[in-house]
Amino acid sequence: MGVRICSALAIAAMLVAAAAGGADDGASDKVLKSTSDHAKFKVLQQEFASGPEVTRACLTCHTEAARQLQLTQHWKWEFLNPDGRRLGKKSIINNFCTSVASNYAYCTTCHIGYGWKDDRFDFSVQENVDCLICHDTTGNYRKAPGFAGHVVTQETEFPPGSGNRLKPVKLGPIAQEVARTSRDNCGACHFFGGGGDGVKHGDLDSSLASPDKSLDVHMDALGNNFACATCHMTAGHQVPGSRYAPTAVDRGGARLRGKEYKTNPTTCQSCHGQAPHKAGAAKLNDHTDKVACQTCHIPAYARGGVPTKMSWDWSTAGLMGLDGKPMVRKDAKGRVVYTAAKGTFVIAENVVPEYVWFNGRVTYTLLGDRIEKGAQPTRINHFEGSAGDNRSMIWPVKVFRGKQAYDPLYKSLVVTHMAGTDDTAFWTNFNWEKAVAVGMASVGAPFSGKVDFVETESMWPITHMVAPAKDALRCHDCHASGARLEKVAGIYIPGRGSDHSVWLEVIGWALAALALAGALVHGTGRIAAARRRH
Amino acid sequence: MTKTVYVAGVAALCLLGIGLHAIDAHAAGGDWKRGRVYYQKVCTDCHTAKAGGAIAPNARTMADWTAYLNADKHAKGKDSLRNYASREYRASVKGTNKAAEKYADVPDEQLFNDIRSFMLKGAKDGDSPASCN
Ligand code: HEC
Repeated sequence: MGVRICSALAIAAMLVAAAAGGADDGASDKVLKSTSDHAKFKVLQQEFASGPEVTRACLTCHTEAARQLQLTQHWKWEFLNPDGRRLGKKSIINNFCTSVASNYAYCTTCHIGYGWKDDRFDFSVQENVDCLICHDTTGNYRKAPGFAGHVVTQETEFPPGSGNRLKPVKLGPIAQEVARTSRDNCGACHFFGGGGDGVKHGDLDSSLASPDKSLDVHMDALGNNFACATCHMTAGHQVPGSRYAPTAVDRGGARLRGKEYKTNPTTCQSCHGQAPHKAGAAKLNDHTDKVACQTCHIPAYARGGVPTKMSWDWSTAGLMGLDGKPMVRKDAKGRVVYTAAKGTFVIAENVVPEYVWFNGRVTYTLLGDRIEKGAQPTRINHFEGSAGDNRSMIWPVKVFRGKQAYDPLYKSLVVTHMAGTDDTAFWTNFNWEKAVAVGMASVGAPFSGKVDFVETESMWPITHMVAPAKDALRCHDCHASGARLEKVAGIYIPGRGSDHSVWLEVIGWALAALALAGALVHGTGRIAAARRRH
Repeated sequence: MTKTVYVAGVAALCLLGIGLHAIDAHAAGGDWKRGRVYYQKVCTDCHTAKAGGAIAPNARTMADWTAYLNADKHAKGKDSLRNYASREYRASVKGTNKAAEKYADVPDEQLFNDIRSFMLKGAKDGDSPASCN
């Protein structure tokens, strides 16, 4: 009888699924996605005056959530590199907007918290964790730059006296619609890294909010529709797959349910294994020990119609137009390529990556590290690896080139006070010496009073915007003269220009000719012998 | 006994069904994300091909869009806008349009509501103005 009850229940379950699936309407989708309708919770049925008030309400049920968040990199903006150096947004200097220090109120717009306005922010206050930035589903939650991650809930003129009015955000309805994270949530910050849409990464921009298959086979809104968390499999709010802790080589197989894994789950191999190509294309499986999947499957980045910045020259910043106002220049398509505040940019779409050996180790040039202005650009960060270390794969990267302020006497990168309504901020007064003096003082670093500009380079892994198989690279994209991997050293790539060797080819063809001649002579002999026998 | 369990199961399902429909009737907000996909992959596809380019939601205000959507006149009044969100239209293009295929069975009113949500939200003065990128 137990069995019968079971089968009755199974039929019932199937009917539930069929009924709900067949209905295909938003409401039943919602019921099936979550056991809670947050609109029904009394604590959320109110108008909130600030973000922390919402968080307090969330914590009445999700009692440990803030404590979980406070353990994450998203909260701390800090990462200890395996070489012992302290990294993370909080301390590094990059060649985009350069540094968070002394610009907190602007940069922390993208912090998952409220109120980080200077270096005295209290990281232990639970209500300062921002739940909505990751769990909003309405798309209406916004944090304006300049408010230290706070959300504007009353119409506000900002900057004061500018006439620019910020629309208030209504937190109640947003809090009532919270759910799991989506591409829109992560994208609200990660699509806009470096100060604008697509600026920093090249493989992350707003086109991935609702992409088609040709842009990304995994996130395809009409197909697989992966959320970021589908690959960045989050547990206890810890999001794996940070670029600070990259996995360049994954020799593991596809993951099985129920098994416990300690390694990064965001790699291609963690789903596709080591031999992902079908029988007809099995030769490709011979590549997977040396060539990262991304190398062939992301033929170009910035493919969604949003350009990415390729270089940024801060040394030209500060020009005023004939009208005495900060100058802005646009390209033929109307896209900004110069502003007085930021200098000159080169932007590009459909960019072919550069390729390097990468073993997962990244080295950084940090504040105080000695740098020289010379023929070689200073490496803001650098992907380590070589053909010979047996721990590297060939990876596609975006190399971002720039020219940025440094101290020519102390020979160090500098912290610049860029943003702010005060008179020392570079974006207000366009005076480098003043802005750097304040920036360096804010971190207690020495400054000679002189500013010069140094060429810099940073590397960014290309790993999103995976194209459909039909658009992946073909043999000749690498196995030909002047092809993509021409500059990758230490490996023999048949057909590649730098691997052509006349004597080797002569010997090869001579051996092939000898083998053919041998076969012909032998065959003719056999035929002649057979004829004679008859 | 088995029968009792089964009957109870079916009865529960019926109740659940009623529950779902009750919620459905109140889901006035519309699924803006589905609206976004449909707008981008069906409406914008055709606009790019036949209307001289994409029409961005942030090109008009919420009041303009509300009036436009209520009037139900499309392409300078030549045809009905609702037609392009209808099941009939989706069926006619689903061979070549993946969004029309995926949403083939969504009730007309619901899909129209989704599109409305997206357009109002993305309007010039909407909660989150949307260009075509
Ligand atoms: C089969 C092609 C096609 C489809 C599908 C289509 N449109 Fe259009 N749309 C047009 C054309 C053609 C115009 C007119 C352009 C002109 O004459 O300036 C137009 C114009 C418009 C305009 C400008 C105002 C007007 O009506 O002249 C809006 C807004 C618009 N469409 C919205 C939509 C929305 C929303 C959808 C999807 C639900 C949609 N369209 C689907 C072809 C299409």
